[in-house]
Amino acid sequence: MTTLLEARRVSKIFGGGLFEKETTVALDDFSIRIDNDPPVITAVVGESGSGKTTLARVLLGETEPTQGEVRYLGKDLRSLSRDERQSFRRDVQVIFQDPYEVYNPFYRIDHVLTTPLTKFGLAKSRGHARELMTEALQAVGLRPEETLGRYPHQLSGGQRQRVMVARALLVRPRLIIADEPVSMVDASLRATILDSLQSLTREFGVSLIYITHDLITAFQISDNIIVLYRGSVAEAGRAEPVVQQPEHPYSRLLVGSIPQPDPDRVWSAEQPASAVGRGANPAVGCKFAPRCPFAMEMCLENHPPLFQTDDHRVAACYLYRDAPTLPEGPIDQVFVKPAIDLRAPAD
Amino acid sequence: MTDAETRPATSAPWNSRESATSAPRDTVLDVRDLHVYYHTSRGPAKAVNGVSFTLARGEVLGLVGESGSGKSTIALSLLRLIKPPGRIERGQLFLDGRDLMTLSEEAMRRVRLGEIAMVAQGAMNSLNPVMRIRDQIIDAWVDHGISTHRSEIDDRIAELMRRVGLRPEDAHSFPHELSGGMKQRAVIAIAISLRPKVIIADEPTSALDVVVQRQIMETLSRVKEELGAAVILIGHDMGLMAQSVDRLGVMYAGELAELSPMRDIFKDPMHPYSRLLIASLPSLERKGSRRGIPGLPPSLLDPPAGCPFHPRCPSVMDRCRVQRPPLELKREDRLVACHLFEERP
Repeated sequence: MTTLLEARRVSKIFGGGLFEKETTVALDDFSIRIDNDPPVITAVVGESGSGKTTLARVLLGETEPTQGEVRYLGKDLRSLSRDERQSFRRDVQVIFQDPYEVYNPFYRIDHVLTTPLTKFGLAKSRGHARELMTEALQAVGLRPEETLGRYPHQLSGGQRQRVMVARALLVRPRLIIADEPVSMVDASLRATILDSLQSLTREFGVSLIYITHDLITAFQISDNIIVLYRGSVAEAGRAEPVVQQPEHPYSRLLVGSIPQPDPDRVWSAEQPASAVGRGANPAVGCKFAPRCPFAMEMCLENHPPLFQTDDHRVAACYLYRDAPTLPEGPIDQVFVKPAIDLRAPAD
Repeated sequence: MTDAETRPATSAPWNSRESATSAPRDTVLDVRDLHVYYHTSRGPAKAVNGVSFTLARGEVLGLVGESGSGKSTIALSLLRLIKPPGRIERGQLFLDGRDLMTLSEEAMRRVRLGEIAMVAQGAMNSLNPVMRIRDQIIDAWVDHGISTHRSEIDDRIAELMRRVGLRPEDAHSFPHELSGGMKQRAVIAIAISLRPKVIIADEPTSALDVVVQRQIMETLSRVKEELGAAVILIGHDMGLMAQSVDRLGVMYAGELAELSPMRDIFKDPMHPYSRLLIASLPSLERKGSRRGIPGLPPSLLDPPAGCPFHPRCPSVMDRCRVQRPPLELKREDRLVACHLFEERP
């Protein structure tokens, strides 16, 4: 079977041109395959500057990689024919962070829903279009009669974001890339939106790449998590162990920094970098060494490869150098498929 | 209790009861029956609808609630910075026994920053982009009539920078030369530069990554200790509250649903809204344990009769639909606005 979407040894380097001497490696030799049978949810987690948004843009074909290629059904995004591009645009949908920016304030909400229907010729008639829109809105818990006909400013942020989820699902894509879809939404609404995103993607057989800086929601909805640090994979694998027993010192720092809603679980203090680490040059050795409490001499010489610490986990850290290194190839070779097929009816 | 009572109790009863039942509190701020309305073409939106609380010296009080619950309006009210069409309709704001509502605008201007300082949401964007951090601090001093010798200025600024975890030379930077976390530290430096008694921190870390968030909260808690200031922390992240505050006020539709010691709220939430709020928190232990609160918050233009939470409340009784429950002492140290509990005698 041909892979739906595949990134092969993709790197993206910004700067380094005539005017900008300094270069930033936003994404460093990243490979992944994404399919939707069965649908999987993959979270990409990292701080600002980790390269997670660059990854999303590269996968969407909006940013051209400096090295490597992104393939849709086996074909480089740069050499898709008109028809192939059209089907790529339909198969891979995106949900952005700020639902306000997507809307044209002068058009009614209906506009963002009818546009894809027209563009991909999905509705047979006006009545059929209305039917599809109604169905999509109900699926995300919105009342069509209270949503259609309104202007964007008349809806709350949470409602606007749910319309975006409805829109992404409307064209029956095979993959949705969601870049911080709930970070602008109230905490109490986040759960609701993520819930509908999770159950609907399963139900409709859509895979999801969930890009976020929020490890808790990443853990809550995803099968596998990739932790990015400055463009490189720090740790990746099955969601539970990555979050519950993080291995890479950076993942440990991220998890330890989450304020737990439990007064008995005290916020642990950040450990300072080791004496060795403080002198590290991230351009040569491990990128995390300058902040790492465990940095050793060997961390200063080379960036560590991915060590496979168990069947479903890798960590790019010399603390795990006794484990075998991950064979060349995409990161998803250690990923788990969803444990149960949630498309089957419950009970 | 009179059965026809549909107005909330004014602050006096519970305030006196509070002081009668708990250890004597060294109160620095006493907010009584605060009402703030935004006047719109469709009538007044009751953003804050009868809120009362006290803040003890050195205490950290959290205020949580959904957006629109009135928490940020309270923050602006304490500084009397509500702008039209908003207005403080009534209420008293005692700072060390002096009612801020009776002060002249000039006197109030001195209270701001001097006695009550604010670290606002996205405050790092409120720094003046064309002024060095150092000059923005000096500006605040000049504005408050504090004259310092030239020789002393550098020492005092260096001291402030160190307090918030910046290097003294960072004071010579323009805001754009600093990272988001460093800017937020600079904002805290300005906020504490006049040694305020109360620091209001309104979502001080909402735009920052988790690692930086923790560093900023540690800084805030350290300067608070050094200054002996009280802090009001406003936000919607219950995790941040659990890690930072002594007492927690849960806001709903412009009112306090519950005001209790933080640990009590997390261990044993009393108000049904607090209970649902805590049950809806995602955890790192179990997947799929979260559940949103069904329904939507009420319109502030046309709030429901009785308890504002009754349309969404799983424990709703007939009485809740007509009679608004006042915030009363229901157990030791625990103020709850709910008919489910008998008032503590």
